[in-house]
Amino acid sequence: MIRIEELAWQVMLDHAYTAYPRECCGILLGVEQADGERVVTSAFPCRNTYEGDQSDRFQIDPRDQVRANLRSRSEDIDILGFFHSHPDCDAYFSATDLKNSWPWYSNVVLSIRHGEIAGAAAFRANEDQSHSEAEELLYPSALPALAAGPAEESPGVESPA
Amino acid sequence: MAKVLIPTPLRQYAGNQKEVEVAGSTVGEILTTLTSDFADLRKHLYTDEGKLRSFVNVYLNDDDVRYLDKDKTPAAPSDTLSIVPSIAGGSR
Repeated sequence: MIRIEELAWQVMLDHAYTAYPRECCGILLGVEQADGERVVTSAFPCRNTYEGDQSDRFQIDPRDQVRANLRSRSEDIDILGFFHSHPDCDAYFSATDLKNSWPWYSNVVLSIRHGEIAGAAAFRANEDQSHSEAEELLYPSALPALAAGPAEESPGVESPA
Repeated sequence: MAKVLIPTPLRQYAGNQKEVEVAGSTVGEILTTLTSDFADLRKHLYTDEGKLRSFVNVYLNDDDVRYLDKDKTPAAPSDTLSIVPSIAGGSR
């Protein structure tokens, strides 16, 4: 399970709103507790350096990852994963997301429709990125907490917001 | 010795360490020593042809070594080498 604290969640939403109708992307920082629960205490907005149409693609600027890594070390927290938005699409983990992900990390996908957050879901890729699994996601919002929807095999199926 | 920062998914192949001190005067020497000390790391960083994998970025302090002198980039003991996962995706 991954739980996002309020300040981090607000940073994620603000980044998604600002980037819309392009995809936003960023880094999730926090701690993994002894029971395996991940707590995101801060979010680090990153530049989308994908060279092309950013309405449906993103590439995190690795320079931002280096900076986030330094911050995590200074605050004694970890990079737990990444987030990005799907403008006017559902919060699924696409084949592109899976192919370009890494194992272990949590991947939070934000659905943003007409400039408003419409849902969110979290996923983790397996070791060889051949499959992803939904991860329970908790966030502070008027929206109910969502158990992630279908993974990459079923793009277009919306999580029950 | 230069400091090498290991991303979480690869720490299991580096003795569960967040960072490793490695001797070497170039980026190539440091990575060679690192992957000799931790052999399981090698297949995650390099292709069978010995090239750095496309989804792995290596930064010397704030600079991508691909845009410096790659493996021949000089490294000082005070330098930090970051192994940075390439992360991308999208709805399409």
